[in-house]
Amino acid sequence: MEKTVSELEQPIVDLEVDRSAVDKNTTTKYSRGRVHVHARAQMPEKQLFSFAEYEAKAAEYTGSSEYSYWKSVWRSFLKKRAAVGMFIIFLLLFLFTFVAAAIGKYDVFNLRIDNSLMFTSPNSEFWFGTDNLGRDYWSQVWHATRTSIILAVSVSFGQIFVGVVIGLVWGYVRKLDRFFTELYNLIDNIPVIIYMTLIALMIGKTTLVMGAAMIGFGWLGTARNIRNLVFMYRDREYNLASRCLGTSLWRILYRNILPYMVSVIILRLALAIPGTIAYETTLTYLGLMDISTPSLGILLRNARSYFLDYPYLLIFPAVIVSIITITFYLVGNAFSDACDPRNHV
Amino acid sequence: MSEAMKKDIPEIDFEKRAEQILSNEPILAAKDVEVQFTLRGQKLTAIRKCSLELYDGETLAIVGESGSGKSVFTKCFVGMLDKNGSITHGSIMYQGQDLTKFTTEKEWRTIRGKKIAMVTQDPMTSLNPLKRIGRQIQEAIELHQGLKGNAAKKEAMHMLELVGIPNPERRYYQYPHEFSGGMRQRVVIAIAVACRPQILICDEPTTALDVTIQAQILDLIRKLQKEQGMTIIYITHDLGVVANVADRVAVMYAGQIVEIGMVNEIFFDSWHPYSWALLSALPQLGVKGEKLPAIDGTPPNLFNKVEGDAFAPRNRNALTIDFLEEPPLFDVTPTHQAKTWMMDPRAPVVEQPDTIRKLSRQHLEGHPVVDIPHPHLAPDREALIEVKNLQVAFGNGRRKFIAVNDVNFTIYRGETFALVGESGSGKTTIGRAIVRINPVSKGEILFKGRRISGKISKALDEEVIRSCQMIFQDPMASLNERAKVDYIVSEGLLNFHMYKDEADRRAKVQGALDEVGLLPEFSSRFPHEFSGGQRQRIGIARSLIMKPEFIVADEPISALDVSIRAQVLNLLNDLKQKRGLTYLFIAHDLSVVRFISDRIAVIHKGQIVELAESEELFLHPMHPYTRALLSAVPNPNPYLEHGKKLLVYDPSVHDYSVEKPTWCELLPDHFVYGNQRELDGYREEYCK
Repeated sequence: MEKTVSELEQPIVDLEVDRSAVDKNTTTKYSRGRVHVHARAQMPEKQLFSFAEYEAKAAEYTGSSEYSYWKSVWRSFLKKRAAVGMFIIFLLLFLFTFVAAAIGKYDVFNLRIDNSLMFTSPNSEFWFGTDNLGRDYWSQVWHATRTSIILAVSVSFGQIFVGVVIGLVWGYVRKLDRFFTELYNLIDNIPVIIYMTLIALMIGKTTLVMGAAMIGFGWLGTARNIRNLVFMYRDREYNLASRCLGTSLWRILYRNILPYMVSVIILRLALAIPGTIAYETTLTYLGLMDISTPSLGILLRNARSYFLDYPYLLIFPAVIVSIITITFYLVGNAFSDACDPRNHV
Repeated sequence: MSEAMKKDIPEIDFEKRAEQILSNEPILAAKDVEVQFTLRGQKLTAIRKCSLELYDGETLAIVGESGSGKSVFTKCFVGMLDKNGSITHGSIMYQGQDLTKFTTEKEWRTIRGKKIAMVTQDPMTSLNPLKRIGRQIQEAIELHQGLKGNAAKKEAMHMLELVGIPNPERRYYQYPHEFSGGMRQRVVIAIAVACRPQILICDEPTTALDVTIQAQILDLIRKLQKEQGMTIIYITHDLGVVANVADRVAVMYAGQIVEIGMVNEIFFDSWHPYSWALLSALPQLGVKGEKLPAIDGTPPNLFNKVEGDAFAPRNRNALTIDFLEEPPLFDVTPTHQAKTWMMDPRAPVVEQPDTIRKLSRQHLEGHPVVDIPHPHLAPDREALIEVKNLQVAFGNGRRKFIAVNDVNFTIYRGETFALVGESGSGKTTIGRAIVRINPVSKGEILFKGRRISGKISKALDEEVIRSCQMIFQDPMASLNERAKVDYIVSEGLLNFHMYKDEADRRAKVQGALDEVGLLPEFSSRFPHEFSGGQRQRIGIARSLIMKPEFIVADEPISALDVSIRAQVLNLLNDLKQKRGLTYLFIAHDLSVVRFISDRIAVIHKGQIVELAESEELFLHPMHPYTRALLSAVPNPNPYLEHGKKLLVYDPSVHDYSVEKPTWCELLPDHFVYGNQRELDGYREEYCK
């Protein structure tokens, strides 16, 4: 083999090498297997064309980066300004429900009915005015907000938890697919409102019972959704690998399947919260909820009859419901986008 | 490669071919092309100042690993870069026009399809499933040739015939799902060729196909080129395919062509250390019992700026200047350039490695035969796994599908038993039946003499799980993306609580990672940060931690790049020696398993047709299917490939209506499937 000598005459690399430079000046530093560039100018040609040190570890190093899933989720969530802003407003709102009772002039549990004060417009005494029975509206609105948020959050969490657990098993265990499908059809084919009416009439209308009933029928959609998603991941090779290692069903579901559902679960959870508030309003409207403690649903129901003459009765609870709904809609979408690793920067 | 075929190798005059090609004008000239992609806010330089001249009528193969930019480079020629990518520097001259200046679709349409056409990798996705095959070809013809109605239809049928689809009148009206994978790829080629393009870019057109089908498609492409006088750019990662189709070869690494030359120059006289490493790492050239010369590490991350020679960190003979200054292209011969400082006159003289010289003599000397002891020949051999009359069926009742039928074999302790077959032959099914993932419908599987198929006790189940592990094909799919390496590797430990305390578990994970050559700090990372080879090694560490005796390796290297394959094969061989492991090695490529396996079983449509010691199988294949498979396997040697005659297996040669076939030990340790008449025939032929 002959090398072509045509370019030999001119040096191919135009090196400004200080020939007197001794090797001690050229400390060969390695960063990830590479000599630092600045070393080049001081290096005699002879050294340039000598064998470099070989580092097996450095070869292994090429091409990797630092990454943490939840950190990335958090970082991309924080980029959605609107969602973060709304979420902060919501948190302040929720905290304020505790403060409001303290700074208010009337205690929600000791409101007097006073016909002379009915339909008082908001003023310095009654900050949100009074309702049709002359009771302070401020204390009622804030108490209702707190009750509704707590109810909505706990019912939504319950629904999603039950739905996710059932959905995972339904999707992953082939033998149970038939059973759960039939169960789903059985429950889903009868309008839920009928079940709710029966429960309210036969067991009771207390918040606890109705909350439990909402969970009992609310998991269906989530379960079905999760089941369909599980199908996408069920037959992936890494699940086979886990089975080869003797991993138990629950650990496979928890470690192999569930992490892929996070984005969907978060979205469903966020949307379930305003959904539950709306649902609760409906139930109250139909008289299926205990009305002894005010909730947003009850306030809205009451305000419905009078809002043409006294719009403030509707406006206060409606604004709060809107804030909650918009917040969770935005936050849910933003957070579930952030949970999707494809969107990670 | 059988002995018989080696004798009649035609003399190919590569020099004359070189002269002939270079006397033509270059029809396409890319100069200093740089392509950048914007990905998640970062700039990735996929092509780094790459130049190429394409001569009229040649077949240029571009080889490279995934991510080397071979696809991206050619996509520039047809304006099919993804939206986030753009040509940031350089020019591509074609027929007096600079293609890099093209901006609108309208401009591109004058070139794309008409002058330069493309065939892509996956025949499943490049056809519209809702349209008749004929219509899809006809559309291309109407669009580009201006023919209408019946004339176009006639032309479409002619195209079908041209690409070797029998019965085009009937096939014209069929839908893609009625075509097999190979047939679909033929249709895709028909669409591409329909407009008589001057240049045809084939982007890994056979990667998704079986070897026997691949050989037929390669034949077709060669035939079409001859008939139509097209210029072909053939992109592949398979050096065997390169040897088969190419006149010239360009080797790409990290977005640059590092060496380009005539096919014989690249294979027998390459000078870039990357080409050396690539060729040396081929399992086909491995000598049994020796390590394959593997390339350490992974290709560079192109998000970072590459300084000097991109290959330097992985090059054991790297010069200091390799890290500092990018080498120019040095002429080796007028047709052969290499981009390495090694060619600089000032550089110390480095000789070509032995493997390269061995390659150039291979077609004269044949495969090196090394006499090493095989465990199955030992007098005190111990049967680890016995498979008896195994049948695996899926579904039930009317939709019953028998994937594997009447399969018998024994795997002895300490051997590597290879199971080779095409996709759908049932090879994976057998592997999964042994590790108890697939249910056995008939027959039984014994592990150390105890039955492990069907219902077994819990204690035995646990023992089987611990001693029989599996390595999977796709390193991308076989690791849980959302778990850290630490959890993935220790999953088995957690399941059986095989550790004393947290510190012990961590030590065991570190030990397993170390054993497969991964750095200890990798345990806190997620799988997606690793390259294919590293991921595969994580998968191996995961099964090793159980301290198994027997491992089912389900195509562990077929999804890996050439340079990575050797790493994984070496690792598997090392582990076998260190730990006394036994492997069932499942593969679709016969040439790869020759190097590592003691015995090879060839499976076709759920039935093992031949089983023999590996050299014996290569020297004396008996079953016609084995022969067809051997002839179809691309060999990384242009001399062998250019003159080879393809054998096509036709299952209808077997007439089992009168005499039932049996599984028969025809010679000692050489089993063949066939009826008495066939077996007699095989025996007779062997005696000759």
